[in-house]
Amino acid sequence: MSESTPSEISVTINGVQVEAEPGEMLIAAADRAGVHIPRFCYHERMSPVGMCRMCLVDVDTGRGPMLQPSCMVPVADGMSVNTESEDTKRAQEGILEFLLVNHPLDCPVCDKGGECPLQDQTMAYGPGESRFVEEKRHYEKPIPISDLVHLDRERCILCDRCTRFADEVAGDPLIHFTERGNATQVLTFPDEPFSSYFSGNTVQICPVGALTAAPYRFKARPWDLEQVESTCTTCSMGCRVAVESSRNELVRYLGVDVESVNHGWLCDKGRFNFESTNSSHRITTPLTRDNDDPRQLLGSDWGSALALAAEAIQQAGPGRVGLIGGSRLTNEDAYAWSKFAKSVLGTDNVDAQLGDGLSAEVVLALPLATIAEACNADTVLVVGPDIKEELAILHLRLRGAATKGQTKVVEIGSTPTGIEPYAHRSIRCAPGESAKALSELLASDDPLAAQLKQGSLVVVIGRASLAESEEPTLSLAASIRAELPHATFLPALRRGNVRGALDMGLAPGILPGRTRLDQPSPALSANWNTVPTTKGLNTTEMLRAAASGDLDTLILVGADPLSDFPDRNLAAEAIQKVKTLIAVDTFITDSVAQADVVLPATAYGEQGGTTTNIEGRISRLTQKITATGSARDDWMIATELAWRLGGDLRLGSKEEIWREIEQVAPSHSGVTLERVESSEAHEGILVQRSSIELDLPAPGTPPVADGYGLRLVSGRKLWDAATTTTYSPSLQPLAEAAALRVHPNDLQRLGISSGTDVRVISTRSTEIITAIADDSIERGTAMLPFNQPGGGANRFIDAAAMVNDIRIETV
Amino acid sequence: MGYLAGFKVTFKKLFEERVTTEYPKEKRPKPPRFHGRHVLNRYEDGMEKCIGCELCAGVCPARCIYVRGADNPETDPVSPGERYGYVYEINYLRCIHCDLCVEACPTEAITESKLFEFSFSNRNDAIYTKDELVVGDDGLPQRQPWELWHEGDDLATSGWMRATAPSGNPDYQNRSGWSGELGYGIRSPEMGQHDRPEPQETDNETEEDGHSGVSH
Repeated sequence: MSESTPSEISVTINGVQVEAEPGEMLIAAADRAGVHIPRFCYHERMSPVGMCRMCLVDVDTGRGPMLQPSCMVPVADGMSVNTESEDTKRAQEGILEFLLVNHPLDCPVCDKGGECPLQDQTMAYGPGESRFVEEKRHYEKPIPISDLVHLDRERCILCDRCTRFADEVAGDPLIHFTERGNATQVLTFPDEPFSSYFSGNTVQICPVGALTAAPYRFKARPWDLEQVESTCTTCSMGCRVAVESSRNELVRYLGVDVESVNHGWLCDKGRFNFESTNSSHRITTPLTRDNDDPRQLLGSDWGSALALAAEAIQQAGPGRVGLIGGSRLTNEDAYAWSKFAKSVLGTDNVDAQLGDGLSAEVVLALPLATIAEACNADTVLVVGPDIKEELAILHLRLRGAATKGQTKVVEIGSTPTGIEPYAHRSIRCAPGESAKALSELLASDDPLAAQLKQGSLVVVIGRASLAESEEPTLSLAASIRAELPHATFLPALRRGNVRGALDMGLAPGILPGRTRLDQPSPALSANWNTVPTTKGLNTTEMLRAAASGDLDTLILVGADPLSDFPDRNLAAEAIQKVKTLIAVDTFITDSVAQADVVLPATAYGEQGGTTTNIEGRISRLTQKITATGSARDDWMIATELAWRLGGDLRLGSKEEIWREIEQVAPSHSGVTLERVESSEAHEGILVQRSSIELDLPAPGTPPVADGYGLRLVSGRKLWDAATTTTYSPSLQPLAEAAALRVHPNDLQRLGISSGTDVRVISTRSTEIITAIADDSIERGTAMLPFNQPGGGANRFIDAAAMVNDIRIETV
Repeated sequence: MGYLAGFKVTFKKLFEERVTTEYPKEKRPKPPRFHGRHVLNRYEDGMEKCIGCELCAGVCPARCIYVRGADNPETDPVSPGERYGYVYEINYLRCIHCDLCVEACPTEAITESKLFEFSFSNRNDAIYTKDELVVGDDGLPQRQPWELWHEGDDLATSGWMRATAPSGNPDYQNRSGWSGELGYGIRSPEMGQHDRPEPQETDNETEEDGHSGVSH
């Protein structure tokens, strides 16, 4: 159109005047006006392609009505649209008759049958009969295109949604149209599966049953599903999900489109790990040690198990008890444990993080950004773990923003990451020297330095490598604060509700509401029996104290230090030395197997409450199924234990707990239960206040590497030996075996060929691991994923060292 | 003698044909569309017709049907196609024999027999499992210990599957719409609604049910 576009456009849809924004597609304007135009290929989060022609409507731009696809026509002022004209109806009938020419009528055995847009729209807009009597197109019935997704090409209507998603949104263009004409079909490349971390989304957006998910295959029909809206707690992104169950068994999660967080997408780990909740390996009753054979854990009852636990805690006394974990829980459960430890037990030895995050005082004091701010900032500086592996949906959001040119992603790290192909600049540095690399960049006359200094800047900060101590990351934070004071932060922390757990005071020196021990709110002082006066120990210090015999009782709340703490030797020594180990968990993990008292807790889907994501957004969790066995919510366990120790938490329900949190936590004041339960919580309620002053330690310098060793880098992979992955039968095979990646020249120097077993020696351990040559790894460094099946990097790491070196030898 | 007048009716009836029968020794023929307990049919090659689609469970107003589907084992498929019903249960304490499940079934897997005389002594017996519902190798329903059967009762199985021809379309009148069935083969077509003879009480139920060409 030649006329200049005004700021607001007015179109007439079915005789009703509708205001639209310039550039908006007609179909979107109609949606907002409440006029539904049928569609298959159009998806509001992807670019329009006009593949299916289902959205043809009569558009009159002054030249008379004409059928046009409303997903491809931008609104223009004065446009008159009729979505119910005779021509439109005839077009819709024709398109549906065409689509059904080759679509098999196997709806009764199709997983989509009952919620299928093709079924629904055929009923609503179809001709009712087909003139096509010839044989339909035939292909081999479902072929697995990845371990999680099946493709039935007979059912495909070639809408281009999955292929567009793979290319545009996920950045894994591994499925595409092949052949031409009647033989056009969606297919992977030969011998290359659709192994995307986001493949499950294609199943959700497929408008027919062409793509189905292996974990949901034939599990239920849509009409026997019950659905609630909840929040995923697999990682700390807080994606909104619809949790669906059939017959009290979780069968499916669907992504819910929330503008501020996940845009409707989910990663495959979050989408499919519901299988672990249903696992038969869940702990169903309390377990205690057999008196005759102390190596055996025997089923017990709640009364005696709680009595044993209370007795051990009582005997140890407040100074010799520690509580590790809590970052898998809801805010309410975390608050109950926090109040239990600090108010009833009187100890400050609590830590929700397992030595793999950042100090709570730093996390809670950093000025927070939101995910949306990050996507719209001039620059996003990513210094931390590979977000594609650890915060997959944040990767998706940043990738989308970077490819659309909304922001520039700059990363500083020592190993290749998933965001690298979309990064404006990837700066490689030696492990532990990211602060130095940033300072060098800022001191140079590189245009990027000016951009960082002037434009809006969001820093995604976290522990890039678990083989490094926290110190290099804190040094980096210090130099960012010093040189780029306008930066805001998104802390990339591990485990679902770690942010909420820290907010609730599950960290040494912290009280609920992002306050320090010495500044309790008046409401908190009134509500709590005692408030610890001296700062307690963090996880590393607790494990060290336990190993040297200074702690008698250790309580693990959904924590597995043997697998998740960076230093396995220290964790093992601590667990062995401690007199009583109490574990509150859902599965018998390595650490739980060593416990003296095991208390079964409810898992995701079995509990309601709230969770807080990395940006401080509080959203609701909803209970969908009943608890396994006699498992209880964590707050009940904490309350019960407190009562047995002569204290009373005075907490009777999750709602009551939230009311108390709202009163005692200054950061959460005003976020009332009513608000949390209202529709406002659909997007989540942002809580970013903090009363902690940022106080960063002075930077130190990492030791110089000797010529023989390789500096170890270790991060997590999406598919690893994490508990929920291990106990999800569909996901468990996706975790690759542990392998050490080294630059080919470093291997060659030692006369080792790629793919052979090598002896890996560190100050902590000597083990045999397969070494693989990888020229994307810098020389002098070696990358070992943190927790793969068959051996984690935590065996080689010394938590006391700022960086860890290893040496490799031929076997 | 006035009281004898009262016996007039009694004596008259003594010589008339009796309308009552010696039930349960003797059973009267059931109407053609009588709804008894269900059977799960099999194709002539022995494959089960049920594909576990749960449409019967979805339509059931009494919510008495529980079905779960599963992937057909590749080497030893239970039914043709991808999916089969690996759990199929009907709770006869709830079933109201409305036959909506039969209407909903896309594969004619579930039909109703004319068997209705069962007395359970516990609730578990009232839940018929797939093993109990599926027809035997002769295509006839399997007798459960608590069911009252007379000879030939089982032959009156598979009543009308649909109230009318497919979609009520007159074009399908006198065209066989059913697939082959174990023990019955292909059944003869249902007659059109208009050229149907007036329903008569006959003692030959099988003919009335539309079974033909098969000797029992």
